[in-house]
Amino acid sequence: MAKVTVYSTSTCPWCTKVKDFLKENNVEFEDIDVSSDQEKQEEMVEKSGQMGVPVIDIDGEIVVGFDEDKLKKLLKLDQDA
Amino acid sequence: MLDTVIIGAGIAGCTAAIYASRKRMDFVLLTKSFGGQFYESGEILNYPGIKKTDGADFSKKMKKQLEFNDVEIKEGVTCKGIKKRESYFTVETDKGDHNTKTVIICTGAKPRKLDVSGEKRYAKKGVHYCSVCDGPLYKDKDVAVIGGGDSALEAVDFMSKIAKKIWLVNIRSKLTGHEYLQENLKKMDNVEVINDAETTGISGNKTVSALEYKKKGEKKKISLDGVFIEIGRVPNTGFAENFLQMDEHGHIQIDCATRTSMDGVFAAGDCASGHEYQYVIAAGQGCMALLKAARYLAKKQD
Repeated sequence: MAKVTVYSTSTCPWCTKVKDFLKENNVEFEDIDVSSDQEKQEEMVEKSGQMGVPVIDIDGEIVVGFDEDKLKKLLKLDQDA
Repeated sequence: MLDTVIIGAGIAGCTAAIYASRKRMDFVLLTKSFGGQFYESGEILNYPGIKKTDGADFSKKMKKQLEFNDVEIKEGVTCKGIKKRESYFTVETDKGDHNTKTVIICTGAKPRKLDVSGEKRYAKKGVHYCSVCDGPLYKDKDVAVIGGGDSALEAVDFMSKIAKKIWLVNIRSKLTGHEYLQENLKKMDNVEVINDAETTGISGNKTVSALEYKKKGEKKKISLDGVFIEIGRVPNTGFAENFLQMDEHGHIQIDCATRTSMDGVFAAGDCASGHEYQYVIAAGQGCMALLKAARYLAKKQD
């Protein structure tokens, strides 16, 4: 299974959407709240080259925002019929 | 042939869909992404019957209500245009076309851009349009909120608990947001309001480091880490531009019963010409639009 990290803030609705999506698809992930962890925030900026959340790291591939198609592709989830 | 196509699943579109389902109409609800603008709301305090909620929570409740009413949401669909046929309409999307007897447009609005130098370059690198999303990244940092209306004051309210210092840069001589929000503002000790200030540029290196503005002809500069732009909204109506009559700001012109310039096409919520961007109005208009569409169908059958 892919190693998945979600960089998020607790108030960001799109972060909630990403996490709900991963849970619905039984994808395990590490959730990092970047608002309370300066070091991880810098790591996220370094990886994604920007400061918007959510950022999703799937085995080193970076997705910015809730991009369902891209997430499905990288996680190799079955496309909707 | 469908009875109606509802375009957009914000509050207006969801309300129309609930009524359409209960009236047993044959319809589809098409949307780019479920929840519309309210999904990005930090706090919702003015929806009758709900003391306090937020966008994500409200969206979950709305989705459950749609499921309860057997409404199927077609997400990830972008409307490209509407064509008038002899006795029906064709709604064209990036995922296929739908033939329908009526159309209900609830496509909402998106944040207005400042259109100054640096805004595009630093998008998500210090320039943001959703404070509840990216605001928490500016803990103990200095930020500006651009605007003076409800959404700007709400952003300041949210950021005042996070950032060290907030400048509210307002182009007008007075704030225009709700009095309730203005009273809140006075209680914050880390907010400085700059009225009559026209933002002229955003600069930085890798990320934003300064904001430039003009006040009474004088150029000024603030050193800061982030800029949140909350200067109103532009309606998502481009796809209907050559099809329906628009008002001078690009909203779909409607009458008090949500009828557009085209018989059989209705519009509701922030994409329509009411110019009061409120959840309750969107809900009311969504309901009105669906009921008027139903009456239009009944009349056609006679």
